[in-house]
Amino acid sequence: MSRALLTVDRVSMTFGGLRALDDVSFSVGTGEIVGLIGPNGAGKTTLFNVVSGYCRPTSGRVRLDGKDVTGKRPFDLARLGIGRTFQIVKPFAGLTVLENVTVACLLHHPRRRHARQKAWEILEFTGLADRAHRPASGLTLAGRKRLEIAKALSLTPRLLLLDEVVAGLNPTEADRTIELILDIHRSGVSILIVEHIMRVIMNISDRVVVLNYGAKIAEGPPREVAQDPTVIEAYLGEAAA
Amino acid sequence: MRRGDETEPGLRPRQLFTEVPVLWQLLPQAVLDGLLIGGVYITVALGFSLAFGVMHIIDFAVGEWIMLGAFLGYYLQRWTGLDPLALLPVVFAVFTAVGYVIQPVIHRAVSGRRGNPVLMGLVFTFGLMLAIRGAGLTVFGFFSHSIPSALSARSLFLEAGGLFVTVPAIRLFGFVYAIGITAVLHWVLRRTDFGLAVRALAQNRDAAGLMGINARRIGSWVYGIHVGVSAMTGVVIGSIFSISAQMGGDYTILAFFVVVLAGMGYLAGVPWAAFLLGLVQSLFLVYGNPSYTLLAVFAILYLILLVSPKGLFAKGV
Amino acid sequence: MQRSRALWAGIAAGVFAVIPLLTRDTFALRVVTEAMMWIGLAVAWDVLGGYTGYLNFGHGAFFGLGAYTTAVLMMRGHWPFALALVAGGVTAGAAAVVAGLPTLRLKGAYFAIATWALSRAVQQLALVLEFTGGPDGMRLPPFLNPMFFYYLMWALVTAIFVVLWILLERSAFGLKLQAIREDEEGAMALGLRPTAIKVQAFVLSTVPAGILGGVYAYWITFIDPASVLGDLVTDQSVVMAVFGGLGTLVGPAVGAVLIYAFKTFFWAYLSEYQVLYLIILGTVIALSVVFLPDGLIGLMARRRIKEPAEPEPADEDSQGLREVAP
Repeated sequence: MSRALLTVDRVSMTFGGLRALDDVSFSVGTGEIVGLIGPNGAGKTTLFNVVSGYCRPTSGRVRLDGKDVTGKRPFDLARLGIGRTFQIVKPFAGLTVLENVTVACLLHHPRRRHARQKAWEILEFTGLADRAHRPASGLTLAGRKRLEIAKALSLTPRLLLLDEVVAGLNPTEADRTIELILDIHRSGVSILIVEHIMRVIMNISDRVVVLNYGAKIAEGPPREVAQDPTVIEAYLGEAAA
Repeated sequence: MRRGDETEPGLRPRQLFTEVPVLWQLLPQAVLDGLLIGGVYITVALGFSLAFGVMHIIDFAVGEWIMLGAFLGYYLQRWTGLDPLALLPVVFAVFTAVGYVIQPVIHRAVSGRRGNPVLMGLVFTFGLMLAIRGAGLTVFGFFSHSIPSALSARSLFLEAGGLFVTVPAIRLFGFVYAIGITAVLHWVLRRTDFGLAVRALAQNRDAAGLMGINARRIGSWVYGIHVGVSAMTGVVIGSIFSISAQMGGDYTILAFFVVVLAGMGYLAGVPWAAFLLGLVQSLFLVYGNPSYTLLAVFAILYLILLVSPKGLFAKGV
Repeated sequence: MQRSRALWAGIAAGVFAVIPLLTRDTFALRVVTEAMMWIGLAVAWDVLGGYTGYLNFGHGAFFGLGAYTTAVLMMRGHWPFALALVAGGVTAGAAAVVAGLPTLRLKGAYFAIATWALSRAVQQLALVLEFTGGPDGMRLPPFLNPMFFYYLMWALVTAIFVVLWILLERSAFGLKLQAIREDEEGAMALGLRPTAIKVQAFVLSTVPAGILGGVYAYWITFIDPASVLGDLVTDQSVVMAVFGGLGTLVGPAVGAVLIYAFKTFFWAYLSEYQVLYLIILGTVIALSVVFLPDGLIGLMARRRIKEPAEPEPADEDSQGLREVAP
């Protein structure tokens, strides 16, 4: 297995009396795509928030490239190479698409003019260039999700956290987004992806981690995980409920 | 325990009891004064905290509602000759109606398509404050007035172990009034359907909408109650201290102080924060330099924001 | 549109520069000098209010701090005016750091409350301190040269405008502020440190206010807590910026000129009803919020473009299909 880029080591997270994450451990290797799945409320987004610095875990460590980054703030982690998207897409509504991406490019290109040039490249790569001057609030859902990816990508991350970037899109848009994700992956970025749509996860992931009620219940290649009885039960339980 | 007027000749001078140091003799009185006035501060901040907790409106005009209520009480008392404290329900009714009518305009200000609705609400109530203050100065002038009540001239004297305290009856009334209003509001919020709807709205606007609660009407009632309670408190303040068209700003500051100390939107913290403010003020008045009282209050406000921004109980939003 | 606004601002600066060549009337010069001061104050307020989305209801405190610092250093320390003026700006900026660090971490509501309280605290402080002269205020050495103050004000306000234009419209800083205004959480994911950036914006907004306060003190030669630390500086700056158009530089400047011109006429003709002015300010700002949320500038921009804000159809599916079509 390749060297671990991200290591989540026995992370737990409690809100009040509620255990949102329960002793979760796994890793993402350099160059890997890891899928994170689980029924609603399994703790996927909480895990994202812990890894990207929005929540400090109650216990456990997070390591990036062997370095302990537990409890670091989001802006520090962005600098260290973690880019993320938000499940509830929130572009800077009053700014244009180009300006949105330019803000993200400022991380590595402190001058506005240089950041703007870099932003054009990102927009070309993500297929948003034709909408560059529109206000971000005017984009469709597909456009906004794509803009989220473009912003995260502008940080030139080593690890990209994608939170449901495909869900809610029609099949054509979904395929285009999957193509984009694979393009990003080919350029050398490791990816941790949360997705509801099984087809997506099963097709693109090297490995899949399954959460249920905050705990990891399975991990392995997509094919194996799909046949794991515990996983099937967790999902059937949701369907029956 | 005796009861009588402040001018009663039977009052024994304090100097006779030299076995208790003078500063200690003053302490019970200072603490009592602080608690009594702290009670009134509860009602200065209660409506404001309710409006913020439910609708996230910071009402810069809170002091101006107090001022307007005080003047309504003042004029009603002169016209009718009734005791101002008997007029409290009238003032409450009038200003609840005023608040109910104004709320839809605020709602429109905060629900525009522009960025941050909370900020637009702030600008709006800031404008409301300026307009009301200007109107108050225009109509009422710059002079101070008082609203004398039958209770204003009466006091209770308490004596225990060589220590004396004086309890002005009107301040005691203010205290009882504040506790009463708090209790009634508590009862309404906890025990009535209306209260349930208000709490649901405070928890989650969207979910409240799903549950079939008419959020806008509830909002109007909440703002109405806030304005009504604040205005009524103005009358009580007017019969304890004095009133003037410029008084609004001072009480807005007090309301801000209490609410930040309590934790923004955390209603249960309001009484404790109000008592603390009253105590700080009255102790500073006795043991410190009175002209630094306000500055001490600001210093505490700053420290609270620095150390525990969510208030004394860390329950604010 | 950006470029045309810059052009208009340049023309306006040119017009202000030649006014003293056209009239020697002291009253007229005085009015225009003060009008320029209000442009500077309103534009500076908007750095935080419009660009960053944090409402400073204590702008007057920073103006007053600048005025008092300059006055105290000139009168008690015998500093030269230029140095005292710089110190006035520095004091205002330092006060912004102290006031901003605890409050700018929190939601905007706290900041609005805290700054309003701060302005009252500063006024109270000036009333009780000895070296500020308490309620009697301070008198500065008269330097009665209207032309000096006119061009000083012109140069300062022009400089403030140009510096803010470069920082907010041309450099990375302005973009960061807007990102934070739109979505603080999201901005953090992109590597921005919101609190640090907001404190910088607060300093950028208050230093000009402090400097203008210093000029005002020396120009008017008398300051007291009611005049330079009263509510009016804050009230007017907020109304000018909101009425003119938040989040732009030209908007508050236009708002400042209009409101100040109105006030001047109003004062001249209705001086016995001065409190009516408060009613008008309050009504203008409340109505602006409800009917003119983007201010006068927004109104003009909308007229010119005549295009609705949603250029893309909302229908997701048709959009997807259109994208794959050649």
